[in-house]
Amino acid sequence: MEVTLLVQAADESFAILEKARVRAVDLMNTAAKLTSETRWMEEKKVRAIFRGAQETRAGLQNFVVTFVILFFFWALLSGKYDTFHLSLGVICCGIVASFGHDLLFHNVRAGDMRVIAGRFFLYVPWLFYQVVLSNFHVARLVLSPRLPIDPKLIRYKTKLESDTSMVTLANSITLTPGTITIAIENGEFVVHALSRKVADDLNAGDMEDKVAHIFMEADHIYIQDVLDVARIFAALK
Amino acid sequence: MIHRGEDVIIRTISRMLIPFIQIYALYVIMHGHYSPGGGFQGGVIFGASFVLLLLTHGYHDARSRVSEKTMIVFSSMGVLIYAGIGFLCLVLLGNFLDYSMLAGILHVDPAHARSLGILGVEIGVGFAVMAVMVSIFLDISTGGVLPGEEEDVGEPPVKEA
Repeated sequence: MEVTLLVQAADESFAILEKARVRAVDLMNTAAKLTSETRWMEEKKVRAIFRGAQETRAGLQNFVVTFVILFFFWALLSGKYDTFHLSLGVICCGIVASFGHDLLFHNVRAGDMRVIAGRFFLYVPWLFYQVVLSNFHVARLVLSPRLPIDPKLIRYKTKLESDTSMVTLANSITLTPGTITIAIENGEFVVHALSRKVADDLNAGDMEDKVAHIFMEADHIYIQDVLDVARIFAALK
Repeated sequence: MIHRGEDVIIRTISRMLIPFIQIYALYVIMHGHYSPGGGFQGGVIFGASFVLLLLTHGYHDARSRVSEKTMIVFSSMGVLIYAGIGFLCLVLLGNFLDYSMLAGILHVDPAHARSLGILGVEIGVGFAVMAVMVSIFLDISTGGVLPGEEEDVGEPPVKEA
């Protein structure tokens, strides 16, 4: 009898201990969660401050670059280089640039623009070379008596992220003879290809890699960064 | 009611073209007294750039740039510039829009004053035409009720069968 009582008492005490333990763990979890939440909020605040500074810088840079480009365009159109007309041009370019500096360059981070522009100017000759190559290919298809075309629509999932890069790729595909971009649906290109060869070329993804490289998207961010760092270190040695 | 365009290619390309269209419009206005063009043509081109923005980005995205209220102010301002220059000449004992009378104010010879006076009038006409073009477009496309003001009007009454 006494033994039974003893066992019961021991059981009860264990149960109470267990409850206390669960409660303590709960409390600790809540405390940890609260700390991490506050830390997350702090981080968010700091990040917002940084992003604000970045946005102001990007806005100023976009304004200046847009202004310069528009002023060149104005000088090209105007053809009158006296003080009066040039000052009119400055005023007009200022108005248009302040209205639309985020139209011409949308979501371009400050500091990226020079890299993008440089890579784009290197991309244009490559694109021209590709256009010439597929021009010969399509000419051969058309001139051969059997007409060995194999037209089809292909759906092509892209890894590009921004609107600008997708439009660059779409227009490059359309410029290349034999392929035409019909639509972009949620990051999926619908492309009409004239023959198996051009479709295979497209699926190989050379052009997409180049465009991703220009706009520093997908994995090219990391690869290019690593290459640049390696080059800098080599130069330092 | 204008909705945001679905096609990402058209949206992006028109976004990039709009600043160039606008600078071309201002060029047409500013060189109206030397070459073909002038206030009306330049104003129409400038208005067309806003119409393109509204067509491709939809009213909700473009409302921060193109608002009906600003357009009304601009159209009145354009007419004011035009009539102001005209009446200034009248006040200076000339005819209405007799720009050579402005020579005394601008401290230039009468021929140069005519050129500057025409430029000022062209700017006024350009403002007015641009603003009226855009507000006509907004009125037609929204049926006179702008999307932000729908709540005030309320749901149209449902007809009973």
